[in-house]
Amino acid sequence: MSDTALLTVRDLAIRIRGAQRNLVEEVSFSVAPGETLCLVGESGCGKSLTALALMGLLASPPLEIAEGAAEFEGQDLLTLPRTERAKLSGNRMAMIFQEPMSALNPAIRIGEQIAESVRRHQGLGHREAEARALEMLRRVRIPAPEKRLREFPHQLSGGMRQRAMIAMALANDPALIIADEPTTALDVTIQAQILDLMRALRDEAGTALIMITHDLGVVAEMADKVAVMYAGRVVEAGPMAEIFANPQHPYTIGLMSSMPSFGARTERLVTIPGMVPPIATMAPGCRFASRCPFRAAQCAQVPPLTALDGHSVACWRAPLERLEEPA
Amino acid sequence: MNRVILEAIALERRFTTDNPMFGTPTVVHAVNGVNLKVRQGETFAIVGESGCGKSTLARVLTRLIPASGGAVHFAGRDLSLLKPAEVRALRREIQFIFQDPFSSLNPRMTVGALIEEPMRVHKIGTRAERRARVGQLLERVGLPAQAASRFPHEFSGGQRQRIGIARALASEPTVVIGDEPVSALDVSIQAQVVNLLADLKEEFGLTLVVIAHDLAVIRHMADRVAVMYLGEIVELAPAEALFETPRHPYTEALVAAIPLPDPAMRRAEARVAGELPNPIAPPPGCKFHPRCPYAVERCARERPALSPADAQGRQVACHRAADLSLSGLAETETVRSPAAQRRFDLYAKARAAEATTE
Ligand SMILES: Nc1ncnc2c1ncn2[C@@H]1O[C@H](COP(=O)(O)OP(=O)(O)OP(=O)(O)O)[C@@H](O)[C@H]1O
Ligand SMILES: Nc1ncnc2c1ncn2[C@@H]1O[C@H](COP(=O)(O)OP(=O)(O)OP(=O)(O)O)[C@@H](O)[C@H]1O
Ligand code: SF4
Ligand SMILES: [Mg+2]
Ligand SMILES: [Mg+2]
Repeated sequence: MSDTALLTVRDLAIRIRGAQRNLVEEVSFSVAPGETLCLVGESGCGKSLTALALMGLLASPPLEIAEGAAEFEGQDLLTLPRTERAKLSGNRMAMIFQEPMSALNPAIRIGEQIAESVRRHQGLGHREAEARALEMLRRVRIPAPEKRLREFPHQLSGGMRQRAMIAMALANDPALIIADEPTTALDVTIQAQILDLMRALRDEAGTALIMITHDLGVVAEMADKVAVMYAGRVVEAGPMAEIFANPQHPYTIGLMSSMPSFGARTERLVTIPGMVPPIATMAPGCRFASRCPFRAAQCAQVPPLTALDGHSVACWRAPLERLEEPA
Repeated sequence: MNRVILEAIALERRFTTDNPMFGTPTVVHAVNGVNLKVRQGETFAIVGESGCGKSTLARVLTRLIPASGGAVHFAGRDLSLLKPAEVRALRREIQFIFQDPFSSLNPRMTVGALIEEPMRVHKIGTRAERRARVGQLLERVGLPAQAASRFPHEFSGGQRQRIGIARALASEPTVVIGDEPVSALDVSIQAQVVNLLADLKEEFGLTLVVIAHDLAVIRHMADRVAVMYLGEIVELAPAEALFETPRHPYTEALVAAIPLPDPAMRRAEARVAGELPNPIAPPPGCKFHPRCPYAVERCARERPALSPADAQGRQVACHRAADLSLSGLAETETVRSPAAQRRFDLYAKARAAEATTE
């Protein structure tokens, strides 16, 4: 989007080797330093695959990158040799997962895990690395950090483990953090604490953040920019405030309607009918068509992501109010 | 006001686990002196952080597990005085919907057999009548009658939840308890199931008790809400009032922590610090006092009782309930942008038109 972008993804496509349809297709976005992009969408829409592809963690085979480029600090992440990639991961870019236990080694003390990572990437000595680990636990506001340093992951509560993982992700001052549903498994009060923490740390260090979530509430709290995904494609993207004030895609509107609002209480929610069909069985054209109340003959063609009112939308029938005008 | 159908009186449930390290068993007071009344036909919600005792309360209320103290009355009768045959009859009256109904059910049974099972157990109808009813129930929850011959794993999460609801309705219960019935579902599917539950409640005159951690869903569904903290009810109020003008500091903290899906409502960092304390050694006095921004000396000493706080039946357990003025959602509420409102209206209209042609 701009020449100041830290990461620019273009036309990313991911598929199962040999499959007819791509699981993720034509996904493009960019993030600048200090900026937060939220990828939002329901289960199975390809959010995690997109993140894993950028981190070089796709389960391949069977998955493979079919197309696309991801330029990060002058290198294409998608074609980088394995050894070069390994230098970036956990260093210039880091990932935070929904379930910290999947990222933390259960047999190694928290402090040692963080220290190991800074020794590897920054070549720090034993003492310095341990001091760095302690400093990181303080930064993520873990109470009694000296004690926690010596504990194993299972001795921490879910919220504390998530803090420890954030500490580990930040230990090498990454330029980009990708967080995949980092608060989904937590209670609201703990989620609020973690979101505050992530915001504060991002603002302190000017880190770029890609945050994956299915929760539009989290989007409203965290994002500068949003990409709404449906069945592997970006259907609407743009500045966060714009998406909420001026939603254009029928899926975005349906998703917002499906959420109980905190405004006047209504009797019934306006829903999206049916469910996401398996990608392999989808008719060609707009992937949302089977559930869309506005579908028409032209929707059998793939709608391109098109600029409209300061953001972009992939729908033949947007802006929808045009449909009401007398012909 | 409707009659009380389910009542908890000083209800307690303790779990004792042997502690191999120190020899002395540890005791968790999962439900600690709960008093509440659920009225016929209402939707009564229980909210609170993970581990505060919501599921345990639901289970002792329905005698899925025994209480350690206190009493439960169903339709005015003390459950502990019922004869075995009456307990069986009670099972028919009260049904459960779980977060994932199939994690606890036999995966080798067909959907039809699973829905028929409660009718068989309670000897309802002839075999043919039961089969017919399975078909009707499936259609009522939005699935084809042919789904009866398939197996649970062939269905999506949302469809499985519909099957779980059909099974819960099979014995024609009066009370349905949902323990996180929509938590595992995607937003769009969650909305469908929330609507379905509302319709069924109306149609069958059910009383619903729901446990959920999504406060937006609770505010939408519930008539009254009980907020739990470490095994105790700290506030009980009509849903709208609870969210607009919380009276307990913990309720205020919960409401303040909800991420609101509207950027105009982005709020400042004014939140409760810390985490739920260890339930084995809960703090003395008001259990919330170590995290409470309003705590005074008395709060650490004396346990506040749940007491009436207004004429509308609100109850609060806080020493400072009378002198605190807490903030809820009403103060930050904003209106949607005209463009967004126009699109929502167009969408709702298109959906309604679609529904009539289906
Ligand atoms: N290893 C794999 N092999 C085959 N298909 C896969 C694999 N991983 C993911 N998929 C498929 O790719 C699609 C996108 O999956 P992805 O995990 O990215 O979804 P998501 O948006 O992260 O969903 P959630 O919100 O549930 O985490 C899904 O249809 C999924 O079934
Ligand atoms: N069978 C059991 N044995 C021992 N302790 C138990 C048992 N069941 C629950 N507990 C404890 O009782 C307390 C309340 O648990 P409960 O499952 O009722 O909480 P909850 O509010 O439903 O939490 P969640 O939101 O995580 O489902 C917790 O401290 C829990 O560890
Ligand atoms: S392109 Fe057609 S089917 Fe797709 S969202 Fe727009 S109107 Fe609906
Ligand atoms: Mg995912
Ligand atoms: Mg529970």
